[in-house]
Amino acid sequence: MSRVGRALIWHELLERTRDRWVLVVSVLFAAMASAVSAYGSSAGHGQEAAGATLTGPSLVTLASLFVPLVALVLSHDAIVGERERNTLGLLLSMPISRGEVVFAKFIGRGAALALSVALGMGTAIAIADGAQRHVLISLLLPTLLLGLAFLAIGLLISTLAPRQSVAASLVVVVWFGLVFFYDLGLLGLLVATDGGVSESVIAQLVVANPAGLYRVAMMQALLGGQALSDLGLAVDLPSVAQRGFIWSGWVLGPVLLSALILAKKRVLR
Amino acid sequence: MKSVVLEDVSVSFGKLRALSEVSVRAEAGQVMMLAGPNGSGKSTLLRVLLGLVHPDTGGLLVDGHATHVNRRFKEQLGYLPEAVAFSENLSGQQVLRFFAHARAVGRKRVDAVLERVGLSHAAKRRVRGYSRGMRQRLGVAVAILTEPALLVLDEPTGGLDQEGLDVLWSVLSEWREKERVVIMATHDLTLVERRVDSVCVLDAGRRVAFDSPSGLRRSVGLPLTVTFDVVAERIDEVAERIERWGRAELDRKEGVVRVAVSTEDLLALMDLRANLPGAVRSLRVEEPGMDEVYEALLNRGAA
Repeated sequence: MSRVGRALIWHELLERTRDRWVLVVSVLFAAMASAVSAYGSSAGHGQEAAGATLTGPSLVTLASLFVPLVALVLSHDAIVGERERNTLGLLLSMPISRGEVVFAKFIGRGAALALSVALGMGTAIAIADGAQRHVLISLLLPTLLLGLAFLAIGLLISTLAPRQSVAASLVVVVWFGLVFFYDLGLLGLLVATDGGVSESVIAQLVVANPAGLYRVAMMQALLGGQALSDLGLAVDLPSVAQRGFIWSGWVLGPVLLSALILAKKRVLR
Repeated sequence: MKSVVLEDVSVSFGKLRALSEVSVRAEAGQVMMLAGPNGSGKSTLLRVLLGLVHPDTGGLLVDGHATHVNRRFKEQLGYLPEAVAFSENLSGQQVLRFFAHARAVGRKRVDAVLERVGLSHAAKRRVRGYSRGMRQRLGVAVAILTEPALLVLDEPTGGLDQEGLDVLWSVLSEWREKERVVIMATHDLTLVERRVDSVCVLDAGRRVAFDSPSGLRRSVGLPLTVTFDVVAERIDEVAERIERWGRAELDRKEGVVRVAVSTEDLLALMDLRANLPGAVRSLRVEEPGMDEVYEALLNRGAA
């Protein structure tokens, strides 16, 4: 990456860590994660394994709500914000390609996201003890992966949106859609088609959503496949290679698409 | 860099023709100005120069050679966008340090540039607390940070107070002295008239005129205004002589006779005055204002 690209990564990191919205959501996540961790420790009454089975799934649910939100807040103005402030042209007047700007922004904001996840999970880990702590540490990387997928989605929205207000509205829609209503929608589809769409197709659609894949993969890792079946979650987790492909698609796909769209734009305002 | 030429540039946005075969030339040691009303194509032409808009036809020549807006060209470029708004969460110094880091410029230069634009006292303050003029001065600081061979300024006077304007004038003087190229777009022709060497007037995407400010004045042929301060008891006599002369429009008010006369007839008018010894206390000759010249050029272009 060029010197300008490297400088932009640091600049993005510095700027994002001073964004009050990012700070507010990150602190809120940290506070709730700490509360979950503290509750898990006390409810386990000193039985570490019991505490872990309580804390891990609760933290997964919490992270699957908050981390996509932090990521979307972080990335929704990446390109459109620069355009509105008349600084995109200034950035591109330096020796840097359009694609490089997109990647530098993704890396810089990704680093800010990593700090946010580390703050949230870190406080929960600091409060937890024993086996519970190990369980929570194992959640760190998958949670970051979930965040990066939504960061990439936000970046794509930011590249396509004509105004920052439109981008902000769109990321809210995406957050509600993928985090809250996606599974409900699939359930509705199952009911509406009265078995016309097979359960296996529905299960594949569940894990095609990064939030769904994260939840299912983490729950299975924490509670085991049988426990999920007992809860009525009959979703076969894709193979490691398939999961890698899905995550790569969600993380890299939108970033590459953003870079391509920006590079092909004949007119930049 | 000795010259920058944008040749036969045409740009369309859908059905809208933003620029039609516009050519401009900027030379080292000169300030070239793009003037025109809103929507005339000034900013689009600058964006073509910066590689932000790809033209339908035409292109860029640097020192006579066809060039693309590549990294090598951008290394020599400093740019001030119109109404630029830097991150409000960072201080002026942090903003400038980012650009310095990106362009391999040392911290001493950052401090010197902050001093140059009069922002040393506010360097550590967040941009959120800056006035519009201070933000614009920060933009000027970013543009001149690398001492670029080509300085591109889009509406640089916007929001600047007198102190900010003085900074801008000193930058233009320095760039001219150091034989660098300056291209700037503005609709405020009267303010910068004396600081530019050539003016390209655009209207509706077409080049209406391209000349020095004095050349533009000559080309429109607007009359000069001569104001005679006349001894009170002889004002009728002076006015009558000028009216009888018949080659100027006359307007008289309490002890003052104002005459609109063509450049060619100015000497004849002076002779007339010489034939009225003791009647005229003093006189003042004024060229037409640049705003009038500009309006005349736009009217001519529209016709």
